[in-house]
Amino acid sequence: MSPAEAPILEAIEISKSYGTRLALDNVSLALRPGEIAGLLGPNGAGKTTTLSILATLLRPDSGRILINGKPPKTNGHGLGRMLGLVPQSLALYPTLSAAQNVWHFARMQGLSRDDGTECCKRVLEEVGLSVRADDPMDAFSGGMKRLLNLACGIVHRPPVLLLDEPTVGVDLQSREQILMRIRRYADAGAAIIYSTHYMEEAERICDRVLLIDRGKLIAEGNLEKVISLGGGRPRIELTYRGQLPKGRFGSLAGVREIGAAGIEGKATLEMNSLAQVAEVLYGLRGLDVNVIDFNLHSPNLSDAFIALTGHTLRDQVL
Amino acid sequence: MLRAIWLTVQNEARLLVKDPIVLFMLLFAPVVIITVAGYSLGSLYGGAANSFRLPVINLDHGKLADGIIQALRQERAVTLEMLDDPGEARRLVSQRDRTPIAMVIPAGTSTAVAAGRQPRLILFVDPVRRVEVNALELRIDELCRRVTDQARATAQVRIEASGKDLREKIKRLSAEIASEQSEIRSQIARTQTALEISIRTQIAAAIKQVSDATEATIKTRERQAWADVQQQLSQRQAILLKIQNYLTQLQSSHRAFEDWLAKLKTMAGSHASDIPPPPSFPRPISETELAELAKPVTAPKLDPTLPATASVAAFSIKIPKGPELRDGNLIGDLEPFQAPQALTLPGDLGFVEQPAVVGEAVTVNAFDQYVPGFGVTFLLIGMMLGIALTLFDERDWGTLKRLQVSGAPLTGLLLGKLFARFIVGVVQMVLLFAVGWALFGITLGRNPIALIIPTVGISFAAAALGLVVASISRAHDSVMPLGVTISMAMAAIGGCWWPLDFEPGWMRELARWMPTTWTMQAFNDLMIRSQPPSAALWPFAATVGIGMIFLGAGLIRFVSLDD
Ligand SMILES: Nc1ncnc2c1ncn2[C@@H]1O[C@H](COP(=O)(O)OP(=O)(O)OP(=O)(O)O)[C@@H](O)[C@H]1O
Ligand SMILES: [Mg+2]
Repeated sequence: MSPAEAPILEAIEISKSYGTRLALDNVSLALRPGEIAGLLGPNGAGKTTTLSILATLLRPDSGRILINGKPPKTNGHGLGRMLGLVPQSLALYPTLSAAQNVWHFARMQGLSRDDGTECCKRVLEEVGLSVRADDPMDAFSGGMKRLLNLACGIVHRPPVLLLDEPTVGVDLQSREQILMRIRRYADAGAAIIYSTHYMEEAERICDRVLLIDRGKLIAEGNLEKVISLGGGRPRIELTYRGQLPKGRFGSLAGVREIGAAGIEGKATLEMNSLAQVAEVLYGLRGLDVNVIDFNLHSPNLSDAFIALTGHTLRDQVL
Repeated sequence: MLRAIWLTVQNEARLLVKDPIVLFMLLFAPVVIITVAGYSLGSLYGGAANSFRLPVINLDHGKLADGIIQALRQERAVTLEMLDDPGEARRLVSQRDRTPIAMVIPAGTSTAVAAGRQPRLILFVDPVRRVEVNALELRIDELCRRVTDQARATAQVRIEASGKDLREKIKRLSAEIASEQSEIRSQIARTQTALEISIRTQIAAAIKQVSDATEATIKTRERQAWADVQQQLSQRQAILLKIQNYLTQLQSSHRAFEDWLAKLKTMAGSHASDIPPPPSFPRPISETELAELAKPVTAPKLDPTLPATASVAAFSIKIPKGPELRDGNLIGDLEPFQAPQALTLPGDLGFVEQPAVVGEAVTVNAFDQYVPGFGVTFLLIGMMLGIALTLFDERDWGTLKRLQVSGAPLTGLLLGKLFARFIVGVVQMVLLFAVGWALFGITLGRNPIALIIPTVGISFAAAALGLVVASISRAHDSVMPLGVTISMAMAAIGGCWWPLDFEPGWMRELARWMPTTWTMQAFNDLMIRSQPPSAALWPFAATVGIGMIFLGAGLIRFVSLDD
């Protein structure tokens, strides 16, 4: 995990268009062993495209991929062992049992017969599907399918793992389990890219965050850096009864009314620091306002995300 | 690559086991279709058509009609329905689903046939059911021919018998005439002889009478003449006797002179020589001669018989010839009747089918065509399901991408899938042949093992075709319409459903480019024509060649699509 270590996976200025739509625009990234990089971005930002290019499934229009500093020899078994992809959409044989699915991909990804048997058993236990190992995949619940999807990608314990929203639809228990496993893989030296829409997951396990929007890498760095890039400040949300005069907090340095303004009985105030809470509450004294409740909120990744990518829905833009 | 192929084959096997619908498609569906087709279209190959009702209206009631009806009753596939009204038969035929054909035996048919004319049966046919009608007409034609052949044969026997009889009568008659003729001839001969004898006898009698009278006359005259002569002779004999006496006296005088002379000479002594010689006496007639004179004269004997020329035998008696009988052989004149050909009916030119291959049946078990035909059809469809569709499935499932991330070459994955399905195709065909053999008694040819040659060829080509279809289909949903259309077209054009000869020339030309055509050719050669396994080699090469083109095109296009 030491930054000095050479990147095991690198993307250098990759761009990719689907027809006239530019899906990736000059994106560069590097991944080192033992590191989990969170790949975040709104729908259609280009996360899956990035992962596909890294997994050599897609050829970038320009730019290069380096694995261990060398261009991947596409279609070599070495690559299969190096990479594990857990695709966003399921990639499983519906009629085959969980064990058969895992077994086939294990073998295809280069495991020998003996290793395959062992790894399959282990990975099914890890994702909690041992009991249902012989059931056909299409008899699984949505979450179980995703677990199996994950199992197939990680069964051969590759040094590079590309995970595209692996926890969508998975229950809390399994999600905890998965996150724990992923963290352990990384701790054991795997380099992992973890694409997700769940900011708290990223906050919990990622060492680094790559924020991508409209094909562009718009922010990159450790959590603190990205959160601060979002420029987020502590907020207080007030619920009250009565009339809150406009511009009442104008006199307080750094306090600003944001969002939800004009909504009856609600107000959100941004502050320079949480220490200004007292000042804000104090300022409401003597007014015809009854504060019923208030919430404090310190800036996090979601704030940064929203701040950096905006509020617009993606499909309205794209 | 080999690892990818091998792992893919294993996975395909697992997928297949989990897919009962495909297994059903592969085996059960073809058996159902083959059963239906075999029993429905069997008549195309001369096999027994369906059992059908044949309304027959017998207006003839003659022997021939009975013969035809009896023959029809013996037909397994025919149920006769005797009717009286031709109108009703017409109605039956025009009603759908009743019967495709009805038969009227017009009145007088038997008599007409017996009289050597050519009467015609009337068939009411349903033009919609032409194929069935053709097959039935063929059978009825055969029956009619059989019945008239029988009649003809009987007539021929009768003609021959009466001819023989006639010939014998003529022979007998001509023998009788001949004997009568010779009798007449001999009678004439006998009459002639008798006539001749009688004439001769009469002539002889006449001659005898004449000669007897002549003889008597002669004898009388002879006797008179003789008495005359005797009288004259006796007178002369008396004179002769006197002469004889004189001569005897002269003789004695001669001798007395001789003695005198001798004495004179002796007395004359020396002058004897001077005495002149006495005159010589004529030599006396010899005693015998004189004795002759003494003999009595015998009368010359006259033969009273007539000279030979007067005999009857010398006469040639010419008896005029009797009536002339014509010479020659009456039988010979009857020669034309003797040639047996002169008494035969002209023959009837027909045909008998002979298989081109000795020892084979002329009518083919329709299943010999339909088992391989529909087997190939379903093999193609199976490949569409098993390759084209599952390739799209794998795209949709995302497994294809995932496998590619594993570093397995796409070509290897494709070849693995193709190989697995190729094996499935071969097994499918082998099972179908086994079922066909067990259920429908299909012919497996000289060497059943040889059927594996076209089976392998078409399985390969069909698998490659599946890949082509996968590579040209735009979406999952277009695979089956496109794949089934191509499969059906190839099966139809390639002669899987009907004999290739049903197709127009241009289509047959097109068919040369279909692997199905070559495969069906090989199956037909091996199963129906009983050719040796080597006959399947060239079609195999052609099938594999076309399959190679499919495979190359499919691989190139599929892999390029993926980039
Ligand atoms: N196969 C494709 N053909 C055409 N356009 C595509 C294709 N795949 C992705 N795109 C487009 O490329 C852009 C990036 O898509 P991508 O799937 O990488 O987004 P994403 O970040 O993974 O989104 P999500 O969070 O919804 O999964 C989108 O605008 C999408 O419409
Ligand atoms: Mg995505």
